[in-house]
Amino acid sequence: MNWETVIGLETHVQLRTKSKMFCGCSTAFGAPPNTQVCPVCLGLPGALPAANGAAIGLAVRGALALGCTVHPKSIFARKNYFYPDLPKGYQISQFDQPLATSGTLSFVSPERSVVTATIVRLHLEEDAGKSIHDRFAKGTGIDLNRSGVPLIEIVGGPDLRSPAEARAYLQTLKQLLEYIGISDCDMEKGSLRVDANVSVRRAGETAFNTRTEVKNINSFAYVEKALTVERDRQIALIESGGTVTQQTMLYDAKENAVRPQRSKEESHDYRYFPEPDLPPLVLTAEFVAEQQSALPELPAAKRDRFVAAYALSREHATVVTSNRAVADYYESVVRAGAEPQAAANWVMTEALADANDHQEQLRVAPGALAQVIALVKGGTLSHQAAKKVFGEVAAKGGEPRNIAEALGLIQVADTNVVAGWVTDVLGAHAPEVGRYRNGETKLMAFFVGQVMRASKGKADPKLAQRVLEEKLAASA
Amino acid sequence: MSVSREEVLRIAQLAELDVQEQALADLVAQMSRIIDYVAQLSAVPANGSVKPVVPGPDAIRFRTDEVTPSQLAFGPEEFAPDFKEGFFVVPKLGQFE
Amino acid sequence: MSDAKAVADRLVKAKRLNALLTPPKDLRKSLNAQAAAARPTGVLYGMPVAVKDNICTLEFTTTCGSRILEGYRSPYEATAVAKLKAAGALIAGKTNCDEFAMGSSTEHSAYGRVLHPLDKARVPGGSSGGSAALVAAGAVPAALGSETGGSVRQPASFCGVVGIKPTYGRVSRYGLVAFGSSLDQIGVFGRSVHDAARVLSVISGRDPRDSTCEDRDSLRLPTVPESLQGFVIGLPREYFPPELDPAVRRACDRAIRLMKELGAAVREVSLPHTPYAVPTYYVIAPAEASSNLARYDGVRYGPRFNGAVDLRGLYRSTRGQGFGPEVRRRILVGTYVLSAGYYDAYYKRAQQMRALIAQDFRNAFDRGVDLLFTPTVPSPAFKAGEKLGDPIAMYMSDIFTVTANLAGLPAMSLPIGRIKGLPIGGQLIGQAFLEDEMIEAAYALERVVPETDEA
Repeated sequence: MNWETVIGLETHVQLRTKSKMFCGCSTAFGAPPNTQVCPVCLGLPGALPAANGAAIGLAVRGALALGCTVHPKSIFARKNYFYPDLPKGYQISQFDQPLATSGTLSFVSPERSVVTATIVRLHLEEDAGKSIHDRFAKGTGIDLNRSGVPLIEIVGGPDLRSPAEARAYLQTLKQLLEYIGISDCDMEKGSLRVDANVSVRRAGETAFNTRTEVKNINSFAYVEKALTVERDRQIALIESGGTVTQQTMLYDAKENAVRPQRSKEESHDYRYFPEPDLPPLVLTAEFVAEQQSALPELPAAKRDRFVAAYALSREHATVVTSNRAVADYYESVVRAGAEPQAAANWVMTEALADANDHQEQLRVAPGALAQVIALVKGGTLSHQAAKKVFGEVAAKGGEPRNIAEALGLIQVADTNVVAGWVTDVLGAHAPEVGRYRNGETKLMAFFVGQVMRASKGKADPKLAQRVLEEKLAASA
Repeated sequence: MSVSREEVLRIAQLAELDVQEQALADLVAQMSRIIDYVAQLSAVPANGSVKPVVPGPDAIRFRTDEVTPSQLAFGPEEFAPDFKEGFFVVPKLGQFE
Repeated sequence: MSDAKAVADRLVKAKRLNALLTPPKDLRKSLNAQAAAARPTGVLYGMPVAVKDNICTLEFTTTCGSRILEGYRSPYEATAVAKLKAAGALIAGKTNCDEFAMGSSTEHSAYGRVLHPLDKARVPGGSSGGSAALVAAGAVPAALGSETGGSVRQPASFCGVVGIKPTYGRVSRYGLVAFGSSLDQIGVFGRSVHDAARVLSVISGRDPRDSTCEDRDSLRLPTVPESLQGFVIGLPREYFPPELDPAVRRACDRAIRLMKELGAAVREVSLPHTPYAVPTYYVIAPAEASSNLARYDGVRYGPRFNGAVDLRGLYRSTRGQGFGPEVRRRILVGTYVLSAGYYDAYYKRAQQMRALIAQDFRNAFDRGVDLLFTPTVPSPAFKAGEKLGDPIAMYMSDIFTVTANLAGLPAMSLPIGRIKGLPIGGQLIGQAFLEDEMIEAAYALERVVPETDEA
C-alpha cells in the first residue's frame, strides 16, 4: 500500500527585540532565573500590558517577506488555559483577527523540486516561561525570564508531503527570517520552535484524514526524525485496523519515539475572547510602508538578480544567496574587481569552508579575496598557491601579494629558470620521455606536474608546458 | 434547568475550581437561573449588523523598544509561597505533561 | 495639614464598621512615615485618602477582600496611588470590599461584612462599601474605590456621600486589580463634590502603563457655578419606571425642580436598551473576570492551602478554598459564556447589546442633552442578608448604574435626601471626558439640595 503523508507546520519565532512584548524587561538569553521579571510578566495582580512597537514592526516585516496580506486592524485575544509557566492563566495572542493572512513560501523539495506552500496566517503573541523538571527532587521550578518574550506564530498550510519536505520548508523559512533580520532563529535557544500537524492518506486520496499534533521537537535535527516516527506510527496503526485519534503527541528525542500528551490536560477549550486590556492593533499605511522599505532584497529576488547580473548558473546563485552575509560578501568581492564567476567559485569553496570552520566568520576581507583572484588571473599565483595565500590571509590577515612573496609562492615566469627545471625533469624521467615521443602525448600533464613539483609550485604552469613542448619536440 | 450537572462539572474543571458534591445541586440551580436571566439577550439582532464596541482608545499605542523594567520594591522570595534557588516551585510535573 | 496621629485616631474610632482592613498599629506606623515624607507643595498635602483593598499599595497588604490574597504585599503600587502620594496625600489604610469587587453590599468579603454607618443592620452598599462607610463616618475626607458596574455610586448613594466614576480611560487602571477590564475604573468618594473632584483630578491623566488609559492631561477642576443656565438635563424615562419607590421618585423630583430653579432646561429622553443592561453586564463582567482571576493559582503569590500535593491539587485547593462563593459563581458563569458553543449566544450578543446601549447615550447627547439625571439606586440601603439568597435580586441593585460602565461614560452620585433616615443619591451621567461639566452641575445641585431632609 502506498501512503502519502500530509504535514503542516506551526512555527513560533522569537522576534529580535531588546525588551519583551508587553513590558520593558530584557529579552537577553541566559540570565539567572526570574531576574528579568516585573509585575507585568509575573502576572501580578493589577499589572497591565503595553505593546512593544518594535515587535509589531518586525512581525509586519515577517508577514511582508512571506507575501501575506497585512491587515490594517487586528485584535489581540486571550487564550485561556492553566499551566504553571503561564503567569496570567492566559496567553495574549491573536485569534480571529490576526495580523496577517494568506502568504506563501517557495522552497526546494527533495522530492518534488520547487514547492510553493501556503502560509495560512501569521500572528503576534507572547511567550510563556520555562518549567525546569530536573532541578528539584520534589518539585518543578518555574523561571519567568522568557515570559512575555515577543513571538510570531506562522501557520503553514497542510502542503508538505514528507518529513524531508517539512525539513526543507523549515530550513527555507529559517533562512528567510534570518535574512530579513527579524529573529536569530536559534532552535537550541528556543527562538525557533515548531509543532507539526501530521496525517496520512492512501496515495490518490484527496480528503485529509484525522491528524495529530507533534510537539516538543527541540532541535532541527529532530524535525525529520519526529515526523517520520509519527508517520510510521499512523500507518502501522491504520494497517493493523486501528484509527488515528486527534491528539497531541510529544516527541522524546532520547527514545526517538512519540507518546500522547496526558489526555486529562487536553480540554482544548481556550475560551478566546478579545483582550480588553489592549485596544485594536491599527497599522497605518505609512507604518507598513516603513517596514517594507526596511526589508532587504529577499533571497529569491536576489538569486534571480545574481543569475541576470553576474551570469551565474541558478545553482551557483542559490548557494551564494543562501545567506545574507554571504551574498553581501560575494557582491563586495565582485565590486572590488573580481570576475563574477571566479568570485562565485572562491566564495562557494574556500570562503564558505573557512567560515564553516570558524563560527561562520568570513575572515578574508572582500578586497583581499579580489586581489587573490586577480593574482591567479594574472599568472602571478597558481591556483594551489592562491589557496595557501587565502588560508594565510584568513588566519593572520595581511596583503595577499606580500604574503605570497613572503611564502615564496610568486610564480616564476622567467623562461631560463623554468627551462632549468624542465631539463632536470626530462633528465630524471627518460622512460616517460620515450613514451611521449612515441605518441603518448597525454603524458604532458605528468611532466607539467613534475615541473611544478620541482619548482615547489612556483613555476608558471602555462610557461612550463610551452617550454616542455619545445624541448620534447626539439630533441626528437 | 438550563445548565446541567455535567456542564457545571465540565466548566468547573475548565476553571480549575473544585465543586463539592453537596454544593452541586445549589450551584446548578443558581447557574441555571443566571443563565436563563442573561438569555434575554437573544433579543439582539443576530445578523451581525451591530458591531461590538468597547470603550477606550481606538488604537493601541506603540511602546519604544527599550529595556526599562519596572523595578519591584522587593523580590519574588518575599511574596512567593515556595521559592527556591531563584525558582518558583510547584509540585513535580512530568516532562511530558 | 492634619497630624498623622489625628488621622489615625479618626480611622481607629470608626473600627466598629469593619470598613478598614489595615490593623491600627500598621496604620499608625505608616501614617507617621508618610507624613514625614509627604511633599508640602503637593495639592493634596496632608489629606488622608483611604484606598480600596483591590488597589495596589506598597504601604499595606492588598487582599481584594479575598482569602486567596491573604497577607499579600504588592511589590509595586498603582499609578493612582503613586499620583496621590506625589500630590502629598496620605494613604490612610486599605478599605474592606466585596471579594474582588464582586458584590453590591460588601457582604462578600472574606474579612467580614461592613456595617452601614447609620444602621448597623444594613449594608453600606458595595463593592466599595468600606471606602463609602469611612467617608460617611467622617473618618477620612475622601477615599478611592473602584467601579465595574456601580461599585462607587451605589455605596455613595447608600451612605450619603459623593461618589464619582470617571470616563473609562480617564484614570489609569495600572495597579487596580482587574475584575472586568473593559468596565473597571478607579472612582472617588468624598464628603463633598469638591473633595471627590480634587482627588479625581490628581489621579486622572495619561499613563503609558495602561494601554486603555487615554493620552490626555489630568482633569481640570471647574469652578462652582452661579447657576445652571444653559445646561440641558435629560431625564431618561427608563430610569423612572412606574414601579419606582415613590420616596425615591419624590427625592428625584425635588432635585429636578431645584436644577430647574437654577436655570437648567430639563427634558425627557429615552434610552431604549436600558432593560438589557443588567443581563449584558452579567455576561461581560463575569466573562472577563473568569480570565482575570485565572492568575490566582497558588504558584507565584498568595497562600497555599491543604491539598497542594500535585499540580491539579495546587490549583483546585488554592482556588477552591481561596475564592468565596460569589466569586466562584461568577467565574463559573464567565467560563460558561466563553466556552465552546456558547460564545456567540452570550458573549458576542452581549458585546453587540453593549454597542446599542452606548448608541442610546450618543443619541441622547446628540440631541442637545448635556447631562442625564436619574436615581442612583432604586432603593436606600437594604438589610444585611436580605439579598444574599438571590444573586439576581442583588444584581438588580446595579440597574441604574451599569449602563455608564457599559458605555464608558462618567457618572456620579450625590446625596439628594433621605428616606426614613437613610440617604438616597441622585445620579448625573455625563459625556465622555466631560467630567468637568458633570462636576459643575453637581456643585450647583449640592449647594441647594437639602440632603438630610426626608424625601
